[in-house]
Amino acid sequence: MKRILAGLFSIVLCGLTTSCQTHENAQTERSAPDFMPLTEIVDGRDNVYLIVKVLENSSYWDVIIEGARDAGNALGCNVYYSGSYVETDWASHERLLGEASAAGADAIVLAPDDSVNLSGKIDEIYQEGIPLVLIDTIANTDNYDVCYMTDNLMAGQEAAKEMLSLLEKQGTDTSAPAQVGIQVGATSSLTIIERLAGFFQYWSKYAPPSWEVIPDIKCNEGDTEKALVCAEELLEYPDLKGVFGANNGSTVGFAKVIREQERKDIAVVGFDYSEEIAGLIMDDDYTVSTILQKQYDMGYQGVETALSLKDGEEMPVKFIDTGVIVVDQDTIGQEDVQEVLSHN
Amino acid sequence: MKKKGSMSHSDEINENISFFRMLVIYLLICGIGVILLLVSFDSLIRNHDRKLTADICTLVTEKMNNSIRYMTSAAQNMADVFSAQNCDDLQELYDTVSQAQENSSYVSLGFIDAEQKIYATPTELEEFEKWRLLETADLADPISISAPYRSGEIGQPVYTMFAHFTYDNGKKGYLFLTYPLKEIQAMAYTESLTKDTEIWLMEAASDNIIQCAGSNTYSIGSWNNALLSMRMQIDAADQNAYIQWKNKMNSGEKNASVTYHIGSETYTQVYSDIDFMYGWYVVVRIPSSSLSSAIQQFRKSVMLFLSVLLVATVILFILSHKREAEEKRVLENLSIHDPLTSVMNRRAFDFAAEKYLARGAKTEASLLFLDVDYFKQVNDRFGHDAGDRILKEFSAALRELFGETSYISRYGGDEFVILVRSADTVKVSELLTHLQKKAEKIKPCDDPEEYGDFTLTFSCGAAVFPKDGDHLQELKASADSALYLVKKNGRNHFGWYFDMPPVK
Repeated sequence: MKRILAGLFSIVLCGLTTSCQTHENAQTERSAPDFMPLTEIVDGRDNVYLIVKVLENSSYWDVIIEGARDAGNALGCNVYYSGSYVETDWASHERLLGEASAAGADAIVLAPDDSVNLSGKIDEIYQEGIPLVLIDTIANTDNYDVCYMTDNLMAGQEAAKEMLSLLEKQGTDTSAPAQVGIQVGATSSLTIIERLAGFFQYWSKYAPPSWEVIPDIKCNEGDTEKALVCAEELLEYPDLKGVFGANNGSTVGFAKVIREQERKDIAVVGFDYSEEIAGLIMDDDYTVSTILQKQYDMGYQGVETALSLKDGEEMPVKFIDTGVIVVDQDTIGQEDVQEVLSHN
Repeated sequence: MKKKGSMSHSDEINENISFFRMLVIYLLICGIGVILLLVSFDSLIRNHDRKLTADICTLVTEKMNNSIRYMTSAAQNMADVFSAQNCDDLQELYDTVSQAQENSSYVSLGFIDAEQKIYATPTELEEFEKWRLLETADLADPISISAPYRSGEIGQPVYTMFAHFTYDNGKKGYLFLTYPLKEIQAMAYTESLTKDTEIWLMEAASDNIIQCAGSNTYSIGSWNNALLSMRMQIDAADQNAYIQWKNKMNSGEKNASVTYHIGSETYTQVYSDIDFMYGWYVVVRIPSSSLSSAIQQFRKSVMLFLSVLLVATVILFILSHKREAEEKRVLENLSIHDPLTSVMNRRAFDFAAEKYLARGAKTEASLLFLDVDYFKQVNDRFGHDAGDRILKEFSAALRELFGETSYISRYGGDEFVILVRSADTVKVSELLTHLQKKAEKIKPCDDPEEYGDFTLTFSCGAAVFPKDGDHLQELKASADSALYLVKKNGRNHFGWYFDMPPVK
């Protein structure tokens, strides 16, 4: 019976995956729509244009848009928004930048799809004197006012720090061999790679010499089923004491398998907040932490800073790390954590 | 003659087979030669590429190290200048120098005093704490360089250089200078092989790498980890070589090289340590194909040239063989056939007839001796051209009637000898009768008024093998005797030797 159910589940999952892929394929052919109002539009107010990377089906970008809307409403400005449907469609961003400028934007908040290819257009907008705030991703040019993003290298260091702390909490012997397994969602994502580099940077400096990261870093290529297989393979290592998921999909994979196998001896450090990781955090039998970005702040502060720049203020810095917060059994009740979680 | 002709064709076929066999052997030898040439050429290129890529990688690492050394010397000189000033108020010094940073290649400059108080902007102070830069400063001997990090002030990856200096009568502090990582990237730039040369800074302990140069400009300045971007990509067979290379780095060896494959591409990778950037190394990688591409082009040209040469040689061989065969055929014709009548000449006939008669006791044959009657008168009356015409047409009639089963020859002047491969005298007599009728129709010219009542006749003496002679000479003598008798009896007739009255 279980096999029949598993088979049916696989068929449904395949169907859903195919449906998602078809949808994504269809999206690649869609150009970004015209700007839409995100707040109430009132004559005489400043017009801020927000351009995001992924316009639909992304909770991460929905939170950024929510932050921008809240800022627009709180600070009394008109916010228009648009964006590409896929993160690689930088041509749409180029077009939207031109349209925002032509529409008389007082300021632009941009999450660039491509750091290199959009640099020319970014230079052009900046030279027109339009205040330009970057969020989430920086561009390969100096011609912008400020960028709000997560310093993923630092976020990775935070993850390693948390891993060492959890292993210590579990009572792992610092003189005995111990292994940590890593799973990533992609090998080409700069965000994930920087988190990984940050993790290694901290780990190599502060981990006991007898503890090692398993060199066989697993990559699930964004496939939820593969994430489970990768997790199962890593859990077979005899000295495994902890696992690190460098993105949401990898973390969910670890959480599911660890829950299924009841591996309460394994410390889990992940990224982002999902039902699966939340379930483990709530269960005192497991040792789990997850790291959240503050993307709401990127949206809110992006609009807020854009208005300040429009009013003539100058930014003393070019890059602001919006930071991360660590969510675990100890911190989940804290007000600042709840505030971030309320937007996830 | 057709049979004789078919015997010659079979020889020709044998000759052709042997020629093509020779051609195949020639092509095989050429093929093996070309393969050996290619194998040794490729091996030469491979070894050359490996050595050259290793040399280039080493040169690039040395170039970067020299540039970094130059920068550290500049920092040390600046620290020496500040030490010479023996300033007793670092805040005042900082306020002065931090205002004068325009047109300098560094992003910022500051100081750390003996009590580890940092003289820097608030953003830099945050970064000191965030990236634990004081730990790097403590490593200065007399210089140290931090790992790259993203600067809040310029939004770009930067690194900070620390140099010892003294102030206030010998107190020890540090001067620090923060440079954009672009400075190192600029050092990494090479005019040649720009797209193919990949240069990273690599931290041995963490396997972290930062790309300074490469074909993908998007990844320049970004972090990565060598476990993910190098080791996992390398073919399984080369993993150990890579691990050994990495172990050398971990154990502190100053430089080492490794060659490995990723798919069909061969890479040479070299590392070299960086002075004062403790635990960090310059890593340079070049694919062999980038060097050998020009040589590969040359290899293609050589291959093309060899192929054309081979095809040309084969064509030349075939043409030469054909020409030789044709010449041989002409020469053979000239040596076998009578040029005027195209029937066999005497020598060829004797050779063929003897060979045929020597086949054995069961061989059957008839030998005919023919003589055109009054041929001299034809020449005298109508001229030699008309005589030649008579001989040609008479020969043609002989070929038409006896060609299938006989050797026909012109023995001289108006004499013809035929060896019929049959002892059936009745049948041969019928053929001779038929020949008489055909001969009557042969005229010396086309104009009836000119040739008038001319009628061509011939006399023939015949003998049967082996009854009338068991070898050619005897057979010819018998036929000649029969001819003599026919001529004596008034010509225009044929007679068999066995019908002749016995000689008394």
